[in-house]
Amino acid sequence: MSEVRPRPFVERDSAEWWAALAGHELVLPRCAECDTWRWPPRAICGRCGSLDWAFEPASGRGTVASWVVNRHGFGGAFPLPSTVLLVRLAEQDDLLLPGGWAGAPDGTGLAMGMPVVAGFEDVRADEDGDAVTLLTWRVTE
Amino acid sequence: MTSFMRDRAAIAGVGRTEYSRDSGVSTLTLALRAIRAALDDAGLTVADVDGVACHRVGDSVQATLVAQSLGIRDLRYHLDLFGGGSQSAWAVGSAAIAVAAGVADCIVVWRSVNARSEFRMGGTGRAAPDTLEFQYQAPYWFATPPQQFAMYTRAYLDAYGVLPEDLGRVAIAQRAFAVRNERAVMRTPLTMDDYLESRMIVEPFRLFDCCLETDAAVAVVVTRAERARDLARPPVVIAGAACGGGHTLFSNGRGDLTTTAAADLAPRLYDTAGLGPADVDVAELYDAFTPLVLLQLEDYGFAPKGEAAGLVADGVTAAGGQMPVNTHGGHLSEGYVHGLNHVAEAVDQLRGDAGDRQTPGAQVALVTGQPGYVAGTTSALLLRRDS
Repeated sequence: MSEVRPRPFVERDSAEWWAALAGHELVLPRCAECDTWRWPPRAICGRCGSLDWAFEPASGRGTVASWVVNRHGFGGAFPLPSTVLLVRLAEQDDLLLPGGWAGAPDGTGLAMGMPVVAGFEDVRADEDGDAVTLLTWRVTE
Repeated sequence: MTSFMRDRAAIAGVGRTEYSRDSGVSTLTLALRAIRAALDDAGLTVADVDGVACHRVGDSVQATLVAQSLGIRDLRYHLDLFGGGSQSAWAVGSAAIAVAAGVADCIVVWRSVNARSEFRMGGTGRAAPDTLEFQYQAPYWFATPPQQFAMYTRAYLDAYGVLPEDLGRVAIAQRAFAVRNERAVMRTPLTMDDYLESRMIVEPFRLFDCCLETDAAVAVVVTRAERARDLARPPVVIAGAACGGGHTLFSNGRGDLTTTAAADLAPRLYDTAGLGPADVDVAELYDAFTPLVLLQLEDYGFAPKGEAAGLVADGVTAAGGQMPVNTHGGHLSEGYVHGLNHVAEAVDQLRGDAGDRQTPGAQVALVTGQPGYVAGTTSALLLRRDS
């Protein structure tokens, strides 16, 4: 609980997802009719139109779809360099989830398609210090 | 079947404010100044205006307030599109459709921003725009457009072996146009060494991969082509307009990070206008970042996938090339007015008004919005010289 991060603005469609993450569990919305996964949480299945869905546990596994290395602060007080990943989830080819990177801050060692697994990091949000849990990807053992 | 909108509407006037880093005035004042300049150009007055349209992301004055300021008593058409540069061509295209349908007869379309002094993109210096997906990014300090586009760009570079020098050539070609453009903010020639030695902002982007941030407004007047022929300047006919895309930021529905929504839109756009890529003489392609030019050259059908860098290296898109691109210097070097300055430049080119940067004999121009690379939607126009 060291770093202070910008607070995610949790809303009604996402509250359950953030709550699961706080319990160190990665869940994803899945259609109850056609089994298609989707992201982010939305009330309808974009494939079959069903309104029937639930959050289901995800494998937490994926591959590196891309990454960036921040070298400029954009007016924010964050460490430089720092790396942000975009991960293609194992569940479905078109599910892409951003997150932090547990490896070198300058991204050394990353490669496209590298298998990664989700980790969970408890940090403080904004100045008042509320706890928030974020995703930190690491290399699959 | 000929499309309903083809050639029915025209751009009769263009207007711009000064481009600066601090306008010192409100976005309302900037909008009104640009609109007045566009009306003057067309030979019209505020009394002629019966419709208003703009796009914005909570960073500019609302359309109806502009209408009130213009003294419009019976506003026949108004449009206040949520979105950044992806919507620029659709604001103009929607006005063209409204004019073709007889809903209104004289619509002013503008973009007005204090994008340097007041509301910088991506939440720097203000609250983030109300985009739901920001909650999944912002906690990782991943929120600004350069970061988002860099994410997608790495995938494109990796997939097709595109090199930093390939991106550099885009920036250099556009700067060469800006040198010839008195309005442009950046008028010093750029070399490959300058480009490669510019500091890293967010890998793989260097400083000169990124657009400017500008305080400015640009406006155009859209009316019936027939009416435009009786006005002060030669009409630039709106041959076709289209919007497309729609996927979300993270789950793009195709799993491919190297193709933009323009690939879906382009065939419809060409069909609407009755034109094809071979007809395009000059292209003003939305260039928030250098790779967007390469992506759009491919997705609008000018090069096979992964091969646009070769087109740029061969000089096709530079001054004197077969299809010059971003002849004003674009967002990288002229200024950043979120796509409306691209529309205005296309009008200059098709009127033959572009001076030292004129594309000889330009008949058809493609003008695009931000190509849906991140935010999901995009839009584009095909404009042509009145025959």
